[in-house]
Amino acid sequence: MTVGVVEGVVATRFAKAVNIGLVAIVGVWHLGLDTLLVLRGWPVYEPRVAAAGAWLALAVIQTAGSILLLRSALSGRTARGLAGATLVTGVVATATYPPGGAIGDVSWAWNTVGWFGVLLLIQRPLWELITLLGANTAVTVGFLAADGALDQVTVSRLLAAVYTTAGIQLTFAYLARQLNDGAREATEIAAGQAEHLARATADEAVHAERRRRYAYLRIRVEPLLRGLAERQLDPGDTVVRQRAAVEAARLRRLFVETDDTPHPLLHELRACADVAERRGVRVALLSYGDLPDLPASVRRELAEGALLVLAGAATRARVTVVTSPEEVVVSVVADAPPQTLLESPGPLTVSSTYDQEEDQLWWETRWPVRPAP
Amino acid sequence: MARTTGPLTVAIIDDHPVVIEGIQTWLSEEPRISVGHTGETVDVEPGVADVLILDLNLHGRLVIGDIATLAAAGQRVIAFSQFTEQRVVLESLEAGACEFVAKNEGRAHLVNTVLAAAGDRPYVTPTAAGVLVGDRGANRPKLSSQERTALLWWFQSMSKASVARRMGVSVHTVDVYIRRARVKYAQVGRSAPTKADMLARAIEDGLVKPDDITGYESAAVGVG
Repeated sequence: MTVGVVEGVVATRFAKAVNIGLVAIVGVWHLGLDTLLVLRGWPVYEPRVAAAGAWLALAVIQTAGSILLLRSALSGRTARGLAGATLVTGVVATATYPPGGAIGDVSWAWNTVGWFGVLLLIQRPLWELITLLGANTAVTVGFLAADGALDQVTVSRLLAAVYTTAGIQLTFAYLARQLNDGAREATEIAAGQAEHLARATADEAVHAERRRRYAYLRIRVEPLLRGLAERQLDPGDTVVRQRAAVEAARLRRLFVETDDTPHPLLHELRACADVAERRGVRVALLSYGDLPDLPASVRRELAEGALLVLAGAATRARVTVVTSPEEVVVSVVADAPPQTLLESPGPLTVSSTYDQEEDQLWWETRWPVRPAP
Repeated sequence: MARTTGPLTVAIIDDHPVVIEGIQTWLSEEPRISVGHTGETVDVEPGVADVLILDLNLHGRLVIGDIATLAAAGQRVIAFSQFTEQRVVLESLEAGACEFVAKNEGRAHLVNTVLAAAGDRPYVTPTAAGVLVGDRGANRPKLSSQERTALLWWFQSMSKASVARRMGVSVHTVDVYIRRARVKYAQVGRSAPTKADMLARAIEDGLVKPDDITGYESAAVGVG
């Protein structure tokens, strides 16, 4: 996710800047310079309709190409099609020049076709642009040859012109590509660093969590196990069995606490119920209402009473979770002895009663969804 | 016509013969009830029996929509299902079911529900109580704090005696709170003759006063 976003932002912005620059260059070139050239040399073009048509066709191609490029909607096929149309238009324009005018004061199309190629093929492999520039130059050379104008002076002028037009265009395309690659590389590195940082943070959180669990094991479980191992605690003693049941359920809950589930509270309660079910207790777990996101500490406290009562249940238990607009209420009713709840509860609203007549312990914990006004 | 005494007939619609036979056995222990019709599909004439026990999932299709049709025609319907999701229960009640009974709730709840439904009196199963108290829908009725507590604790403990001891009131009072909450729920949503009958009976029985009921109240406001 982070990788995609970072890459998207920086690389896209870079490419956009390059594209806008390109659109501006080609715009000034054709609508400004070409227009001036065509108007100045207007009397010499033959037929003039073709010259004007070529200019107009290029203006249309330019507009379409610019819009598509800026909207990032220029597909490879469209780009090649428009580039081909540009080349053909260039041939038409060159045909209207006077004999030997393919390079000179009245020629305008050669350079323009080249820039159009850069505009249209900037996102394509470089060889496509090279092919177009080659073909474009070949058109000019072809016309000069047909007019019998390829003398020594013209050839040297031609070489100079190729160097200053196609050369610049190719260099521009090459540099733009380098810039884009550089930007992409930079964003990839940034994304990599962000990912590394995120992983380090996650590792740290996991480590802290492990330490917390380890501390818990050392304080609560180790003395129990040591007592059993050193025969100071009698496994047949009800109190010891009760302690073991409670710690087993606590451990089980501790392990599922960090699981990524839709409703962590229900998941944790399910884990407590599992431990009780393994002892042969029939457990019903029911939940109504959509649980909100609960902080881990609140979850722990909401589950604690249920855990203790479940650990003390003899044969049956009913765990209920109700989320009303006002509060989350967790309750457990079970045939557990009244002295089950030895540990003092946390700051949540807790109530418990022992119903002598039905021989059941009834524990309820409430957490207000909205703070009291 | 209320039928609290004398024989009353029940129709059972379920796509599992074992369930139909199970319900028949349960009901056979209650002399006031006789089963008049059983079937696997919901296309029954309204009034086929005093009370229709309807499995909500027939051959893989949820038939909550059919409850509305039956209830609108005056048929008392008890929704009987293993699907106890809040949405299913609320939609069944909203469609006009007299009550929702979960398939795991046992004989006593089903028999009590049938007897109450036949007399147009409310009966709330623990499952339904949990659903109602957890309802966050926009058109849920306003319950008093005792009604809310009674519903919540009935769901938690499933024994009205235990709830009564905990609330410090009589079992009868707990029952009144729970049934009153159900009557208020019958008021919201779609109107159906069965719901109107329940309301009329609740007012007759002194369970609610006409003022307690949204419909009556708004009518009075409308006149004034």
